[in-house]
Amino acid sequence: MTPRGRTGFITLFLLPATALYALFVVIPVVQAFAFSLYRWRGISANRSFIGLENFHHLFNDPLVWRALSHNLLLFIGTSAVILTVSLALAHALGAESALARFLRSVYLFPQVVSLVVVAILWMFILNPSFGILNATLKAVGLERWAIAWLGEKSTALASIGVAHVWHALGFYIMLFAAALRTIPPDVMEAATLDGVTGLARVRYVTLPMLWAVLRIALVYMAIGTMNIFSLVFLMTQGGPDRATEVMLTYLYEQAFKHSEFGYATALAVVNFVLVMALSGAILALFRHNPQEGRA
Amino acid sequence: MKRILLALLVVASSGIAVLMVSCGRQQTATSGAKELEVACFKGGYGIDFFEQAAREYEQQHPGVKIKVWGNPRVWEQLRPRFVAGNPPDLTYPGWGMDHWALVYEGQVIPLDEYLDSPPHGKTEGTWRETFEPSLLELCQYQGKTYMLPYFFSMLGWWYNKDMFEKNGWKPPRTWSELLALCEKIKAKGIAPITYQGIYPAYAVSGFLIPWVISAGGIEAFDNAQNLVPGAWKSPAFLKAAQMMDELRRRGYFQEGANGMDHTGAQMEFISGRAAMIPCGTWLHSEMRNVLPPNFRMGFMLPPVLDDGNGDPSAVGIGIEPWMVPTKGKNRELAIDFYKYMTSLDKAKQFVEAKGTLMSIRGSDQANFPEHLKEPVEVFRGAKTVWSQEYRQWYQKLGKEVEDATAALLAGNITPEQFVERLERAAEATRNDRNIPKHTYTRGQAR
Repeated sequence: MTPRGRTGFITLFLLPATALYALFVVIPVVQAFAFSLYRWRGISANRSFIGLENFHHLFNDPLVWRALSHNLLLFIGTSAVILTVSLALAHALGAESALARFLRSVYLFPQVVSLVVVAILWMFILNPSFGILNATLKAVGLERWAIAWLGEKSTALASIGVAHVWHALGFYIMLFAAALRTIPPDVMEAATLDGVTGLARVRYVTLPMLWAVLRIALVYMAIGTMNIFSLVFLMTQGGPDRATEVMLTYLYEQAFKHSEFGYATALAVVNFVLVMALSGAILALFRHNPQEGRA
Repeated sequence: MKRILLALLVVASSGIAVLMVSCGRQQTATSGAKELEVACFKGGYGIDFFEQAAREYEQQHPGVKIKVWGNPRVWEQLRPRFVAGNPPDLTYPGWGMDHWALVYEGQVIPLDEYLDSPPHGKTEGTWRETFEPSLLELCQYQGKTYMLPYFFSMLGWWYNKDMFEKNGWKPPRTWSELLALCEKIKAKGIAPITYQGIYPAYAVSGFLIPWVISAGGIEAFDNAQNLVPGAWKSPAFLKAAQMMDELRRRGYFQEGANGMDHTGAQMEFISGRAAMIPCGTWLHSEMRNVLPPNFRMGFMLPPVLDDGNGDPSAVGIGIEPWMVPTKGKNRELAIDFYKYMTSLDKAKQFVEAKGTLMSIRGSDQANFPEHLKEPVEVFRGAKTVWSQEYRQWYQKLGKEVEDATAALLAGNITPEQFVERLERAAEATRNDRNIPKHTYTRGQAR
């Protein structure tokens, strides 16, 4: 095949996918940027151009900042937990024991459960009256700790974080377990021979060799927590008194409850930019692999 | 290669055949009969009654075809239909739809001309006078009627009848009776009152508004709805907030209720761990699948202040209206079908089939299920009817009232801070030129 024919051939095969992607992703995103410049109730074709007013309003809206801070708190809190726990579990799953084999077959369960089910499950666990958590606390004499987890301002966000971690963990265990398998056994062996074992081996050998995967995992976690919606919407509705409001629940409220589709679209645009920026920042911040630095 | 080509040819030709057949079908359907599309919210009462009514109407009107469809999130599907200018002919979009936005955007028609015509199957009288006037009032804006009620719900408190009878307790009518009773219930190790904390709207309609009306009279609430400056922090609102705060401080609310969703709190009530709960008349049908056999629930109005200024018979109601889209294709047919659905016979059938009150006058002569007999009596005896219209008119204000109520019931803010928050939210709405304003005048529809 001539080079030109080859290009044509490739173009031909790329065309359907590109067209679909343009139709369902690129065009809506571009449209969103346009809609964010309008006042629009989202219930008729009427809309009036108001320039950057939505964005001006947005930056002066204390609730946006509050929602955003909840997203960031969730990101920092849940990613710290997910990283530690999933790395530890992925490591442990490499072992050849009956328990490890059993765990390998169950760790993905939460991941395949629908988020709606996850939310309902955790609402049952956290239920102040018949929930298993408070029942356990009461059984061991910790009545004072048995509170309305989703109804208290101080614990509602953390409770959602726990449900999110429970759901997301399996995916990251899988990711890290797969990455761990790519570390050549001779490297581990050499480290052991040199007397580097246990936590030191994790710190100086395993982690540096997982660097690229860790970086991607962090980006995934950032996207996951910046775009969190279903869990919050189902478990607390953003309450009590906005204590768990996140960007997307606030966006939903503006669009579907307050009929402020223009403003909601501006929120979506800002969220889009923020997710891109955060992902970019993570990639830049963790660009340097300490392993390469030493080489 | 030949085989593959042959297979492709077969697949392609069968695809084309299917397309042709379906196009053909569509053509015959649109050219022949008159077709009506009715989109309904599928809530606790389902849509089977409307489907049945459609079949009956079709039989009476040969050549008419009515398609009734619906689901529990129908409002989300209706929005793009309205934007595209392709709405259904008649719709009951449900509580999730911003009804007034449809009115402001001219997407639904004023119905007064039809309301002044005779009702279904009659040649005299008006359709308007078949509706309960206090409910029709809620559907008006700038003197025109844009929506129509169907069933309606009453708001109040439910109590565990067997528990009350067994202990010799009487439903409390006044604040002092309530406090005395709560003390007795608490002594039995039962939570006196539970509530749906995750959805503070229940506490707003079950505690706050009734006590505002009891303390300051219906004017205190009407003024607040009409955004009169200072109305949301009037002494009546402060008093109501103090009453809620007092119940919390005395420990009369079920522990953990602030973390319960509606089904959670309602389960507490029907399982006997709490004696009373604020809820609308839909409670029975919402919980029917989990109700213990022989469970008896009694309905009462929220207890009023002993020396209050309000009408003690005042009752809160809520409607979920129907409307006729401006760009519907069969306006006259839609109206006539809705006239049929609101005829007295159909209204009575709805009461009996679904166990709810209806906005059609005279439908209270139907056979009510046991749990509705008390609410019906309460409604007949009510001299004042109120509805939280501000929630529909001013969604942001409604949300802030609910958030502040959650904070008050959790003890995060004082009653004084509570009313300040409400007034600030009302002021923000008042000063927002982009929010169309409503004025509610009582007795307008009569």
